[in-house]
Amino acid sequence: MNCFVIFSNLRFQLITMSKNTRYFISFALLSFSLNADSLTLNGTVTTTDGEPVSEAVITLVGTLKTKPILATSPRKMDQRHREFVSHILAAHVGESVLFPNSDNIQHHIYSFSPANSFEIQLYKDVAPKPITFDKAGVVVLGCNIHDWMVGYVYVTDAPYFTQTDEKGAWSLNLPADDYTLTLWHPNLDTPNNVLVQQIKLTAEKSAPIEQKITLKSTSRTGKPPAEDAQNPAYQ
Amino acid sequence: MKKEIRLTVFIYTIFFTHTLFADDFHSIQLHGEADFRYLHTDSDSQNNSDFSKFAEGGANRDLFRVSEAALTLQGRIDWSWTGSIIAKYGHNAKNPIDISEATLFFKPVSTSPWRVNARLGSFFAPISLENTSVAWTSPYTLTSSAINSWVGEELKTFGGEGTVAYHFENGDHVDIFGAGFGNNDTTGTLLAFRGWRMHDYEATILDDFQLPNQAHIQSIFKKQAMTTQPFVEVDGRAGYYTGFNLERPDVLKFRALYYDNMANPKIVEKGQYGWHTRFGSAGLKIALPFELTFIEQSMIGQTQMGGFVGNHTAVDVDFWAHSFLLSKKITEGHRFSVRYDIFGTHKNDEILQNPNENKGNAWTLNYNWLFLKHHQLNFEVTTTTSNVTARTMQNINSTQDETLWQMGYRVFF
Repeated sequence: MNCFVIFSNLRFQLITMSKNTRYFISFALLSFSLNADSLTLNGTVTTTDGEPVSEAVITLVGTLKTKPILATSPRKMDQRHREFVSHILAAHVGESVLFPNSDNIQHHIYSFSPANSFEIQLYKDVAPKPITFDKAGVVVLGCNIHDWMVGYVYVTDAPYFTQTDEKGAWSLNLPADDYTLTLWHPNLDTPNNVLVQQIKLTAEKSAPIEQKITLKSTSRTGKPPAEDAQNPAYQ
Repeated sequence: MKKEIRLTVFIYTIFFTHTLFADDFHSIQLHGEADFRYLHTDSDSQNNSDFSKFAEGGANRDLFRVSEAALTLQGRIDWSWTGSIIAKYGHNAKNPIDISEATLFFKPVSTSPWRVNARLGSFFAPISLENTSVAWTSPYTLTSSAINSWVGEELKTFGGEGTVAYHFENGDHVDIFGAGFGNNDTTGTLLAFRGWRMHDYEATILDDFQLPNQAHIQSIFKKQAMTTQPFVEVDGRAGYYTGFNLERPDVLKFRALYYDNMANPKIVEKGQYGWHTRFGSAGLKIALPFELTFIEQSMIGQTQMGGFVGNHTAVDVDFWAHSFLLSKKITEGHRFSVRYDIFGTHKNDEILQNPNENKGNAWTLNYNWLFLKHHQLNFEVTTTTSNVTARTMQNINSTQDETLWQMGYRVFF
């Protein structure tokens, strides 16, 4: 039996302080459907003017002591056109990440984040060893050759996580439970760049949610400097 | 004109050869740029031999030329060491092709917030916040600011520079740097004898500049040659600079520096005096809303040459300049920039026959269009009003207005 419920009505504004150049994200849980033993929870993350926010990380921790199911093969974060692609990658504690190099130049990526510090030299066509992340936290990545490059690995011990797609949408299959939902994006203008809220997920009861939060007006893009577009070193 | 044609063919041969190998994974990279320019000016400039604020004019009010061409060879020695050599053709250079910069960089990776890096060789002191592109070109204007024009002429150092930086997790970093250098003993000569000037010419290692021949310099300083060599060592004493940098990448950069070449002003060797030049420099670059970039640079200093005459050295000049640039990215590849420069020198010495008073301001407007990734068209006008006391020795009014129109086509590879 499937039950499809549209959330509506419940809205609250988390952060109302606004600056001229700040943006807003609206974060809306749209619907869930009931399967035999799990519910499918969907959501979207968009700015108030409708722009989708991609790569935001959604984690959910319930009251049930559920162990995360680790990926059997390493996750991937590529180096392409002198950028980290993707810009943000989420992983469970204990999972590994591969850093292939699709550029025709070397990269030398590193992190000095307390969660996991490492450095790895990346040649083209030489498969690097995957890096295992064994502590929860945000791992900020840089490239020692291309200073503008920045990427993030969000390592979580939550049993469930996902990331928003290009349309700002996400989806998770979950058992009914009381959850702590955390939205993380490096540009969220909140302490630790997170937005946390409680969700009661049941087959019968709907809890329509829409959140609006502030993004930092200034943040690192991880892209080559725009004014130096003619510089071959940045292409 | 044959020279221009030969140079153009040479530049494009390198450009297309480079393109053929562009997809190879190589640890040695060849980059470069060439700059073709049409210039029109009402200036009476006689190159470096007078007190004009531009290097063009006089008998050549309309010029078409290859303004400069540069080749940059970058090599990676290992994961921490790289080397870079920039060779330039400059329309005004003493040698047709000469080395502009030759530098060895040491930049080890760090997995802690602390980082160190160093460079060794011939490089510009870290003053300009505008000249960030290939071979010290600017993405904003053709003509450099008054400060950066002088940096290009006389402020290349030959030595070593070390930096210690602390990085925060959000990307902010604080850097403290210092350098020891030689071959900068004549720095200040052009500012004192000629004054500030606006151009985009960077001196190469073996370059020299003619001094204003109306200034009767040799009648006062008989050992001074009529050319100044910007990169020579006169007294065997090293100079230094030290400073700090605060940066939030993509957003804000503030840099301050104190420079002292420690030159002995009483020593003259082969026509080149030591000029004791020291200054403070500060620069701020901010990314603003609406794709705007603001850059401010300031410099205040003093230069002294010769023995004491009365209470001052024979030449004793204070100098100062400020520039304010606002640039807007209009759409992808299109950029409009406007810059205001204000500058001056003040004479402290007591030799009346050598008037070194100089002040002025300038507006520069530039529109550039980057197309097909490698090509850029520039349209620019710079207009300046200046008062130079020494112009009276040319029997012209000490206050002059000058305007320079430029169309530039640059190819980058």
